[in-house]
Amino acid sequence: MQLVIIGNSAAGLSALEAFRKRDRTSPVTVITKESTIPYSRVLLPYYLRGKTTFKNLFIRSEDYYSQMGATCITDAVVKLLSEKQTLILENSAPVSYDRLLIATGSSPVKPPIPGLEGKGIHHLWTLADVENLMPCFKKGKSVVVLGSGFVSLQGAWAALSRGLDVTVVELLSRIMPNALDDHGAQILTASMKQSGVDLRINTRTLKVEQTHDGKLKLYFNNGHDLVSDFIIVGTGVRPNIDFLEGTGIEVDNGVVVNHHMKTTLPHVYAAGDVAQVPSTFGGPCVIHALWPTALETGRIAGACMAGENISYEGSLNMNVTQMFGITVASMGKFMDVEGAETWTDKTLSHGQYLKILMKDGVPVGATCAGGSELVSTLGLLRPLIREKISIQGDPAALKKMLAQNMTRYHQAYGKGASCAL
Amino acid sequence: MEKKQHYKSMCRMCNNHCGINVYVENGRVVNITGLKEHRWNHGRLCVKGRLGVDLVNAPDRLKKPLKRVGSQWQEIDLEQAYDEIAEKIKKIQQTWGNRAMGIWKGEAVGFLTQEELARRFAHAIGSPNYFSNDSQCYVGRWIGYALVSGTWAEPDFANAKCTVIWGSNPPYAHPNMTQSILQGRENGGRLIVIDVRLSAMARQADDFIQILPGTDGALALGLARQLIRDDLISHEFIKGYTHGFDAYADHAKAFTPERVEKETGIPAERVVDIARKIGNARPKVCIYAGNGLEHHENGINNVRAIACLDGLLGSLDEEGGNFIPEKIPLRSLTLYDEKPLRHLGPIGADKFPVLYDFRQECHTMSAMDTILTQKPYPLKGMVLTGANPALTNPNSRKVIQALKALDLFVVRELFMTETAELAHYVLPAATYLEHSELHTYPVCQSIGISPEIVTFPECDYDYMFWKKLAHRLGASHYFPWEDENELNQWILKDTGITVETLFDHPEGFKYKSRHFQKYKKEKFNTPSGKFEFVSDYLKGHGYSHVPEYIAPTYMSDPNPEYPYVLVTGARKLFYCHGRNRNFKRCRTAIPHGEIEMHPHDARQLGVDTGDVVTVTSSVGSVDIPVTVVPHSHILPGVTQITHGWKESNVNLITHDDRNDPIDGFPLMKSVEVKIKPKRQEDGE
Amino acid sequence: MRFITMDIKKCVVCRNCEYACSFQHTGDFNRADSNIRVAYHDDIKICLPQTCMHCEDAWCMEICPAAAITKNEETGAVEIDSGRCAGCKMCILACPFGNIHFDKSNLISRKCNLCKGEPQCVAACISGALQYVTAGDSCRNNREIFQRFMATLHTPL
Ligand SMILES: Cc1cc2nc3c(=O)[nH]c(=O)nc-3n(C[C@H](O)[C@H](O)[C@H](O)COP(=O)(O)OP(=O)(O)OC[C@H]3O[C@@H](n4cnc5c(N)ncnc54)[C@H](O)[C@@H]3O)c2cc1C
Ligand code: SF4
Ligand code: SF4
Repeated sequence: MQLVIIGNSAAGLSALEAFRKRDRTSPVTVITKESTIPYSRVLLPYYLRGKTTFKNLFIRSEDYYSQMGATCITDAVVKLLSEKQTLILENSAPVSYDRLLIATGSSPVKPPIPGLEGKGIHHLWTLADVENLMPCFKKGKSVVVLGSGFVSLQGAWAALSRGLDVTVVELLSRIMPNALDDHGAQILTASMKQSGVDLRINTRTLKVEQTHDGKLKLYFNNGHDLVSDFIIVGTGVRPNIDFLEGTGIEVDNGVVVNHHMKTTLPHVYAAGDVAQVPSTFGGPCVIHALWPTALETGRIAGACMAGENISYEGSLNMNVTQMFGITVASMGKFMDVEGAETWTDKTLSHGQYLKILMKDGVPVGATCAGGSELVSTLGLLRPLIREKISIQGDPAALKKMLAQNMTRYHQAYGKGASCAL
Repeated sequence: MEKKQHYKSMCRMCNNHCGINVYVENGRVVNITGLKEHRWNHGRLCVKGRLGVDLVNAPDRLKKPLKRVGSQWQEIDLEQAYDEIAEKIKKIQQTWGNRAMGIWKGEAVGFLTQEELARRFAHAIGSPNYFSNDSQCYVGRWIGYALVSGTWAEPDFANAKCTVIWGSNPPYAHPNMTQSILQGRENGGRLIVIDVRLSAMARQADDFIQILPGTDGALALGLARQLIRDDLISHEFIKGYTHGFDAYADHAKAFTPERVEKETGIPAERVVDIARKIGNARPKVCIYAGNGLEHHENGINNVRAIACLDGLLGSLDEEGGNFIPEKIPLRSLTLYDEKPLRHLGPIGADKFPVLYDFRQECHTMSAMDTILTQKPYPLKGMVLTGANPALTNPNSRKVIQALKALDLFVVRELFMTETAELAHYVLPAATYLEHSELHTYPVCQSIGISPEIVTFPECDYDYMFWKKLAHRLGASHYFPWEDENELNQWILKDTGITVETLFDHPEGFKYKSRHFQKYKKEKFNTPSGKFEFVSDYLKGHGYSHVPEYIAPTYMSDPNPEYPYVLVTGARKLFYCHGRNRNFKRCRTAIPHGEIEMHPHDARQLGVDTGDVVTVTSSVGSVDIPVTVVPHSHILPGVTQITHGWKESNVNLITHDDRNDPIDGFPLMKSVEVKIKPKRQEDGE
Repeated sequence: MRFITMDIKKCVVCRNCEYACSFQHTGDFNRADSNIRVAYHDDIKICLPQTCMHCEDAWCMEICPAAAITKNEETGAVEIDSGRCAGCKMCILACPFGNIHFDKSNLISRKCNLCKGEPQCVAACISGALQYVTAGDSCRNNREIFQRFMATLHTPL
């Protein structure tokens, strides 16, 4: 049985490792159009900020593939011939498969703004992007970040930390709509501004012009135009599925999969950012485009491709990031939704924020802003959200309930172990 | 580089004496860990134990003898210091008589023999005046129990079906005792904690009984009444081995649950309930009385009332009860038989004869008055080792005044303490890691020895210190041993055990296995030879023969001027009495003293955690930051301050002259106080 | 495999373990620096020591985008490589027990590493609540225990 995995990032690696846990012998080929040695996208902003080294971006060793008993081809897949169970590559010979995993992730897209191309226009998505950006990150330079999603803001934070003048432009009325509730966004907005970011919400970019001294001029709907050394575009992504054209595979916002990560094509699986996967809350499939989801779905795909019949419990979005001096995190449903009750922790000190959303006493999501202890609380909540366990009584008693739960765990835990000091 | 050396010894950072490993590199102690095989701690060591490294290496340790010249300290040669001190002692003896010298033992530096050496020295130089911290700590309980059963038995927690921890917080006070208490609970025993505060121990209690300070006797008598009524008593023990049951039972009759509720604040039905729980577990009931019971005006009788419960339940010398350890025949260093000096009027023995009868302790509180008034006779010189009464005795102001008034005040210490600062001579002492001393563990019926691990040239150990002085004072024949090795051998002589054997048994050499119900063959060590519910001895001294209950003054005669009652001396994790405040690491953890206060009281006073208040008793005032504790932690109206903080020394306001009439213990745990927020002065 | 068990029927919240842990890796007694945390829940009378369970297939290890978390083959400890950790806090979010903490001075995550096989918290635990145990038959796989625990959550206490 020949297994082929396209992509060597979170989903691809996790699938490979889960597969190898169960199947030590079948040949595996990994195809990637990027660096052979896997690197971590999540760390890219940290590298830009100087928080981690170039070397540390690489999260597997050079002999990783040989250790895993896999071959790696560095090339781009340009076509899938599903009847022939074969992949056409840009520069190498075709590769056929018995089972295929699509873990090609997503790529940033540019909004239709005239002039938004050419010199000085960057993304923050791949290692190559970052290598291009690094020389621009010089003290005293100025940057405009288009979009205020968490990747964009991390780019902004990195630039600010390196002493650049930073402007963030957001079309909507608030930042981070996909990761924070309104109040959390407010807190983050305040600390961004306090850190010296020029944040412009409700701002539409009309066009961009190259100036003769090599800079970029941005025109906005409100007239407060701006000249900047370079621009980081972070306004949205789309899945990498061009090579699937003509296969008839079901695609919605991404490649649609079932609980076993199977696509609508025989022997073809998908996982990670490219896949639209079941959600922990049921309902329509979702693309969370998050590292943990990529890992989980990759793991399920890997196991299923090795013949194990396991099902995905559904993606639970969870996200944490720290910038501008505070940590913000969210999990599950964090925007106020109908029929849900919200509970905010009133005992917290100033500047700390924790909100939990519940439906019929069952927690369905949470947001926090402040210190890392709150992130731990979200971690404790995760099993309850996943297992749909209701918080009996007052949610203020959450800590108490979590403590009680832990006591059960300890009871299960201590048994059967033989004691020694 | 030298290799790491490894020694096995015993910890002396508190009174638990856990087994330790001591690691030495290039002559420096670098680490201390718990000794796995030790019978007491089984390898576990609290953070205080590890602090032994800080103690021995402390940068502020005294390493040179110092002599006061005017307001300055001058370094002086060690032998010359001994010469000068001896000369001055002789002069005092010649002018004022031998009894004008006092000897004072603290507990910080040694194990078993340090006390007997100090006692020996006092008598060797002809003075009956041996003082120690014991006359205000520990001995009160010892006497209370000894009056009833001839000794203070040891709790056998691990086998108890019901353990009662009464007025003690073992996790902080005797850390590794906690292990055996909870072992007993794991084995199916019930844990009852009776305390003024919801202590660390109380957190694991099956029943936590929150009691008003100093009212424990009423509860003990109430429990007795209930046990008798419910017939949950050991008739066999009472009939065969006790004295005065009827009078005691009669006395207890008045303590109905309702009366107990009124006296102690404990709901009547809980009194009944607890009595039944205790009674049903008999005889495997282990009642441990802590320091919280001392330091009250009726302390001894409260302890006696509790001690009597052992007799009712028949739990004395039972497995899982309070068992009476058998002793090892160590030779005693004291000279009470050889050279009795009671006729010289040991200080306090007239006022508190029981204290002297039972423990040959002089009364440190009376000593201060004696120094200041020269009554009944002048006390002019004091040699004090390893103690800090300026901080730990009640009424610090008086203590300082008195110690300053001495003609000769010699302090042997590790650090320049508040007390050492008052001395004429300060001699550097050796720590417990710097000498070899014996120690027994009665609970385990085992004995151990500490090796000399490191030394510092001028830091003499206890024996050497007393020997050098004795030799200069014509008492050399009492200190004939070359060094402490010889001394240890002499002490062990009648036991058949050698020093070498002890070194081979760092886990504690078990000298005898345990036997229970020994009273069936031997008499109790009491005047009647029986377990004494009533004491004719006390009656003979004019005290009540039953363990009578007298309510604390704040209850019986409340003074509206002092509306709060203050408990002092609760133990804190890093600190043992006055010690360890000079270690930086400890200050990181617990930086300063505090007054613990109920949220209700804090609200009434308009203060919050961190605010400074002035606490005033009839003795004095002290400024101290507030810690508002959770509701359940302490009763409204009750507050607590831990002693040992020189910046906020609670003993500035404790009573040295309101004493338990029997043993003279000072009133330190139900002090009436008023509390005022300390506001920033206007206009500043 | 060995790991630390915590007996909630023995812990008295004396905090010796917290200080011992802080001391082990900072040389000072600062509770905030401890990787073991003990909570006392006054209202429900629960004494709860919490330190890393060194899970099989640890959540934190799986999620770490920096590959900074690994299992020490010798001790079985799930460890954070401080040289690799970028401080993203994903692991803090991932741990279902709240056992990863943030080192505010180095801005990276930190957790229990079993002190090279001699856990100091256990050595300082004077109540016996903490035990350093060898895995037994019914306790080989922490994930399994976690599932068992999850199952009990549906039944009220
Ligand atoms: C800057 C940045 C910061 C982020 N921070 C976080 C964060 O803090 N938390 C979080 O949860 N998530 C974060 N994310 C998102 C997270 O990185 C992604 O969800 C995750 O990487 C998805 O993994 P994946 O394996 O599905 O796809 P990707 O990581 O996108 O990997 C796709 C792989 O497919 C290969 N590939 C694609 N097309 C082809 C082709 N045609 N032929 C061959 N190979 C191909 C690529 O080379 C790559 O190896 C961040 C993303 C970025 C860019
Ligand atoms: S930190 Fe949490 S998830 Fe990681 S091994 Fe420890 S207990 Fe498990
Ligand atoms: S904080 Fe450090 S150890 Fe934790 S997930 Fe992030 S990089 Fe890994």
